[in-house]
Amino acid sequence: MGLFDSILGRTKPVQADLDALFGLPSASITLQSAAATACSGHAGVCFKPQTGQGFADNQAEVMALLQMDDTAGLTSTQDSFGYQWLVMEDPDIEALVTRIHLVNSSLADAGWGPQLLCSVFGLARLPAGSPTDADREGARVGAGSVLPSTAYLVYLFKRGTFYPFVPTGHEQRSTEEELKLRSLVADDLSVETDLDRWFPLWDLPVP
Amino acid sequence: MSTARNIPNDRGLSLRMFTTGLMIVLLYGAVIGLLIAVGISYAIVLVLAAALLFVQYWFSDKIALYGMGGRLVTPEEAPQLHGAIDRLCAMADMKKPRVAIADTDVPNAFATGRSPNNAVVCATTGLMRRLDEPELEAVLAHELSHVAHRDVAVMTIASFLGMVAGMVTRMMLWTGMIGGFGGGDNNDNQGGDNAALVELAVLAVSVVVYAISFLLTMALSRYRELAADRSGALLTGQPSVLASALVKVTGDIARIPTRDLRSTESFNAFYFTPAIAKSGVSISTIFSTHPSLDQRLAQLAAIEAEMGRPS
Repeated sequence: MGLFDSILGRTKPVQADLDALFGLPSASITLQSAAATACSGHAGVCFKPQTGQGFADNQAEVMALLQMDDTAGLTSTQDSFGYQWLVMEDPDIEALVTRIHLVNSSLADAGWGPQLLCSVFGLARLPAGSPTDADREGARVGAGSVLPSTAYLVYLFKRGTFYPFVPTGHEQRSTEEELKLRSLVADDLSVETDLDRWFPLWDLPVP
Repeated sequence: MSTARNIPNDRGLSLRMFTTGLMIVLLYGAVIGLLIAVGISYAIVLVLAAALLFVQYWFSDKIALYGMGGRLVTPEEAPQLHGAIDRLCAMADMKKPRVAIADTDVPNAFATGRSPNNAVVCATTGLMRRLDEPELEAVLAHELSHVAHRDVAVMTIASFLGMVAGMVTRMMLWTGMIGGFGGGDNNDNQGGDNAALVELAVLAVSVVVYAISFLLTMALSRYRELAADRSGALLTGQPSVLASALVKVTGDIARIPTRDLRSTESFNAFYFTPAIAKSGVSISTIFSTHPSLDQRLAQLAAIEAEMGRPS
């Protein structure tokens, strides 16, 4: 915010940065080989609905667009802070990122970029015995099926950065696990350096 | 595509704020010119006031928190409050301020601190008890807008002159009452008359400057409240929620015993709504730090209407 905006008491709404999302599949490969962890196949987009018909129309359009894509796992919920979540599932991490990006870019293109808060991708520990070497036939990325998430990577739209979030119970998080995850994905993703901004998302609707 | 759905900046509000600020700056220039013309003896007042105000500015967070009995709280103590502020800060891409709670039933909130890096946002327990979560969030968005607009710094600079003029006035009256105007024994008559004239002139000027700068500061404060309402409403995307919070809080404030209210009066400039709520039309709208409820609701309704227009 410039000096002039300060003097006149104005804030410019911050636009969302969507490009860094595509680093996620390679981060998932890294996690799979280094920690037997991969994207769980669950992801969600969180945004603040704006009052008025314009936003409602766009949101309905996005929902219709996603439902055309035949997939079963699409739910829309509102959390206790009044933010809207679109939660979807897809075992294929590339497809999942593409769908999340579709939601984000359709909302941002329609001018709702400032309303976007974050995207959340679930991570799950792969079941014991499953092949962890990525050079197997097909080099399958991710769990191959949808697993319940045990940890999350949160993408902050306004910063264009990721941070790990590991809830461990009622309003408790494991900082140790989070820092471990950070060191693993640091090469593939731009990780939020300001730890103050790693805010907790209790009661995540992403399974 | 600079703003959400291209809600335009309120040019009228910006213009009024700019004009008020310009007048304050002009007044500054005039007073400093006058001081130089009168002589250097009043420079000491200027320095003293500057020092006082600097302390007030530098420690604004501690002073306000102490004055209000606010207590910094951790995310574990107040997860709801922290959660709402976390999200708003992530939406607005600003640094998270410290969070405090003041244990008083007067429903209010304030933001203080010399810069966004030192900011504190404080809510009272009375506010959290009365408002539901979206409304509380709307109030917090208003306070965060104050932080983003650097209102503490702006208002401190703007009120500096008024403080100087007030000090000069008080000093003159004080010395005048003790010694009599220009009535030094060791002065000859001619010199005494001149000194008395000069002192009377200084007194008159400082009273006038005090009055003008007081009015200007109040006007500026009102405009900045409106600007914070506006930015807050744009941030949450729901102006009507802020409006309902305002109605709830102002309605309640009037019903609270006065003794409580008096004790919080001096902090009004940084408050969400002033603690002394005057019902009905008051003659003193121009003496008020906050715009009237009607004015604030009208602005929010206008933003709501703009958002409601289909694309």
